[in-house]
Amino acid sequence: MTPATLAPAVIVPLDGTVHATAALPVARGLAALLGSTPCIVHVGVRPRPPREMLEPLKLTSEQLEGSVLHQATGSPAAAIVDLAASRRHALIVMCTHTGLDKPRGALGSVTREVLRTAACPVVLVHPERGPRPWTLRRLLLPHDGTPTSAAALSPAAELARRAGAELTVLHVAVPGSEPPGEPGTCAAPRYLDQPQHEWPAWAREFLDRLRAIGRPPGEVPMRLSFAAGEAGRAIVEFASREASDLIVLAWRGVLEPGRALTARAVVGGASCPILVVRVAA
Amino acid sequence: MSEHSTRRSTSTAAAIAALDLPGAPTADPAWRLVEEGFALPREHEIESLFTVANGYVGTRGSLAEGCSLSWPATFVAGVFDVGPDAGAGPTLVRLPDWTHLALVVGGLRLTLEAGEIVEHRRVLDLRQAILWREWRQRDPTGRVTHLRFLRLASLADRHLLAQSVLITPENYSDTVHIESRLQWPADPGGGTVERAASGDGAPDVLLRTTSRGVVVAVALGGEMRTGRGERVERAREPGPRGVVERWTWYAGIGETALLTRLAIVYTSRDDENPAGAAARHLARARDDGIERAVDAHVTAWSARWSVADVRVAGDEPDQRALRFAAYHLISAANPEDEGVSIGARALTGEAYKGHVFWDTEIYLLPFYTLTDPPAARALLMYRYHTLPAARAKASALGYRGALYAWESADTGEDVTPSSAVAPDGQIVPILTGEQEHHVSADVAYAVWHYWRATGDDRFLLDAGAEILLETARFWASRGRLEPDGRYHFRCVIGPDEYHECVDDNAYTNLMARWNLERGADAARLVADRWPERWRALAERLGLSPEEPEAWRHVAAAIETGFDPGTGLFEQFRGFFDLEDVDLAAHGPCAVPIDVCLGRERTRRSRVIKQADVVALGVLLRDCFPREVHEANFRYYEPRTAHGSSLSSAFHALAAARLGDTALAERYFRQTAEIDLADRMGSAAGGVHIGALGGLWQAAVLGVAGLRLGEDGLAFDPHLLPAWHGLSFVTRWRGRTVSVSVTREPRGIEVAMEGEGPMTAALVGGPSRTIAPGHRYQARRLDGAWEAWREVDG
Repeated sequence: MTPATLAPAVIVPLDGTVHATAALPVARGLAALLGSTPCIVHVGVRPRPPREMLEPLKLTSEQLEGSVLHQATGSPAAAIVDLAASRRHALIVMCTHTGLDKPRGALGSVTREVLRTAACPVVLVHPERGPRPWTLRRLLLPHDGTPTSAAALSPAAELARRAGAELTVLHVAVPGSEPPGEPGTCAAPRYLDQPQHEWPAWAREFLDRLRAIGRPPGEVPMRLSFAAGEAGRAIVEFASREASDLIVLAWRGVLEPGRALTARAVVGGASCPILVVRVAA
Repeated sequence: MSEHSTRRSTSTAAAIAALDLPGAPTADPAWRLVEEGFALPREHEIESLFTVANGYVGTRGSLAEGCSLSWPATFVAGVFDVGPDAGAGPTLVRLPDWTHLALVVGGLRLTLEAGEIVEHRRVLDLRQAILWREWRQRDPTGRVTHLRFLRLASLADRHLLAQSVLITPENYSDTVHIESRLQWPADPGGGTVERAASGDGAPDVLLRTTSRGVVVAVALGGEMRTGRGERVERAREPGPRGVVERWTWYAGIGETALLTRLAIVYTSRDDENPAGAAARHLARARDDGIERAVDAHVTAWSARWSVADVRVAGDEPDQRALRFAAYHLISAANPEDEGVSIGARALTGEAYKGHVFWDTEIYLLPFYTLTDPPAARALLMYRYHTLPAARAKASALGYRGALYAWESADTGEDVTPSSAVAPDGQIVPILTGEQEHHVSADVAYAVWHYWRATGDDRFLLDAGAEILLETARFWASRGRLEPDGRYHFRCVIGPDEYHECVDDNAYTNLMARWNLERGADAARLVADRWPERWRALAERLGLSPEEPEAWRHVAAAIETGFDPGTGLFEQFRGFFDLEDVDLAAHGPCAVPIDVCLGRERTRRSRVIKQADVVALGVLLRDCFPREVHEANFRYYEPRTAHGSSLSSAFHALAAARLGDTALAERYFRQTAEIDLADRMGSAAGGVHIGALGGLWQAAVLGVAGLRLGEDGLAFDPHLLPAWHGLSFVTRWRGRTVSVSVTREPRGIEVAMEGEGPMTAALVGGPSRTIAPGHRYQARRLDGAWEAWREVDG
């Protein structure tokens, strides 16, 4: 993934619920960073005059300011994904769910389908976040050390560069599990002969590989941190402790039961928005 | 500056003289480490593994043209510097990348990361110690360029490094530009380096390390010739940080050119005028030509392999692993320099900053003692020359004698940091420098066994005895006689560094006891055999006649933690009261167990970082009966988490000695995989030279069961399940002994060359005197050894 994949088209689907509008501050913040204009999209039965859409979308004029409104019909998820695909580069910013009956972190059906089918990055925002303004100061990139996941670095670094934000890479070692088998993986050190030498050497190698494979735009300072434990929980705890404003998550595109446990745990537990970057399965 | 190019019309292939690299790669796969293709993420590991070195200088196996994950580095043993952060300690200085070559064809720079790799193979030729590279690249315009490389660090002439590249444009004619930048890195490796001079004259770069004032001179000689015998002129451009050289060649389709580069390295450690020495040496090397340099290098390696090669029948990966180990062990040592030792990553990477640990004496020395005694002697002389620093450390802590540094660099001062920052942000106190004292006994152990194996009395008199005496003196002052009538060693760290500030660590206490006894033995030996020397030495050290004898009393009263009822040594006082964690229940752990369990719980548990009591059994095998070894191994092995790369090798060795060959095989392969099957990046900072030394020991001291005797060698072979046979050569007191162990028929064969007879023995079996030039065989039938018999050789 190149920096260009974090593209100007920032698409914000709204379904008419107040919950959905929680995505707007995040979309505005991202659009400002990317030099883009948020595109609010509503998928309805039939298009209506734009000025008549404010109330159904629970929007105020101020909320609409600086954005464009786009209406589509048909299947909501398909329409959102089609709109993103029609733009050269796009970023979808939407709530995890908008229904009242969903537990925190659960994905609504539309979000789930968008996530499953969209080729572009998707930012998930918890509806509980509400209308608070959003600023990117601290960005967290969990990285399992695999070359595949390194693809998430470029968009993360590009955002950090534009925002002047602090970029922290977090590696979580999972006790009781083998390191990923993907060739070229840089997992946590199996041997710590002398920690005063081993940790710095490992950290340097971990970040060197990440930079070489992920090819971030320019020189973006990165800090490496390390945790041990169940990956999803460790990421959520770290993000909470560090007051991260955004988690950038590499995701291999599977959501079947028993898979994507880390992604599910992060989406379910993190309070900050999560940028999901689809990488090769 | 002027640039010249050769231009000619394309001629027939027949008119082009055959140009080739000097020499050819070894074909036998058991002598080759091969990396096919190009996997960018692994590049740092490959660079470490494919290092060429000769104990004086080492160059990582980086791509000459570089890539986005290249970390080229050349290190010279003993050249350290301290950067602006003095607390970071001395670091091996990173020299300019003399291998660098940028190739530009038709305006496009040739790189593995642009265009299509038609063929790419790197071969570390272990037999010849040459890094070969075969590369065919189709650039984005479709031009296919074929390049073949050779690189070596001469074992015959340790100041000389060489690289050749053969270039052939396969399907085009165009101008080929080659540029080499010999420049000091912006960060030479933690230290700072001031450029002292540069210019058109040789050497090409001359530098002075900031804190240590060591001058390093690198002189480069390059020559490029075409297949038509034409010389391609070199253009040189001195710059602020080094020199740039350029060659421009108009290449006809199918034509070949050969670029040969020689680099000569000298330091003010070797010569008071390193610049002059480098220039003169380069002139000689140029006159001799690279062919002669390659021949001499290969001949030197052949001689070294004639003693160092361990041959395994029946398992090619194990065979290759042993040769890989021996290759790096040979590459790491320089018998001509008593002022340096071998750092934890040798000269293959920047990790551990070139610092020297106990690994050298315990894990590496047996290889050198038994295959290259001059190299072993030089390494021990490093400890002799750093005795003043060891005395100062002991004194600073309120002890007498010599306490060696836990981390040692060029001066022998302890350069262990007092804390480290873990990636989780925690400040981790580092107590090894204060508390891990067994290193003094480890040095003494290596001294004694070197002397026993070589009979090098001169070394004993000139240096070895003093080390034995001063380390013994340290232990006598370190122990405290307590009301129970026993000497105790409080607040130490043993090899199991998960447990800090423990009392009476069995490894420390028993090695201290052994050190005290050998110190007393050495005193008596020297006094009896060389009374004049003894008087002078005793006077210089202020040793009264009673002091060494008093050491025996201290030794006899040292607390050992041994329980005769169970046959177990308690690893340290209170160890058996700690929580017993079932390591097997934790399953495969991607990280060291102290990371999984947390430092505090690990500290409160019977989880062990690395061989501790097991290591004690390995080293002091003859001090305890087999039952004690068995009991301790079976108790401690399941509780060892192998959080150190040193651990598995000694477990392989110990298991082999006990005849548990399946377990020994598992540990042997775990050790081999530390570098060769690296999936974790830990080899990126250099190979694990201690583990490689341990692997060799596992084969020779474990599987073959080699033991040093008073009048010869003894064997107790236990072949690993996959091995049909094991052969090796060892040196013993000036003699060369060839040993071959076979499964079918089950037996052992030895032959000896040298002066005078010696004894060959089988543990629990017969022994006999063997004579030079004869071959002897013993068979094992129905669980018992038959008598040795002479066979036709």
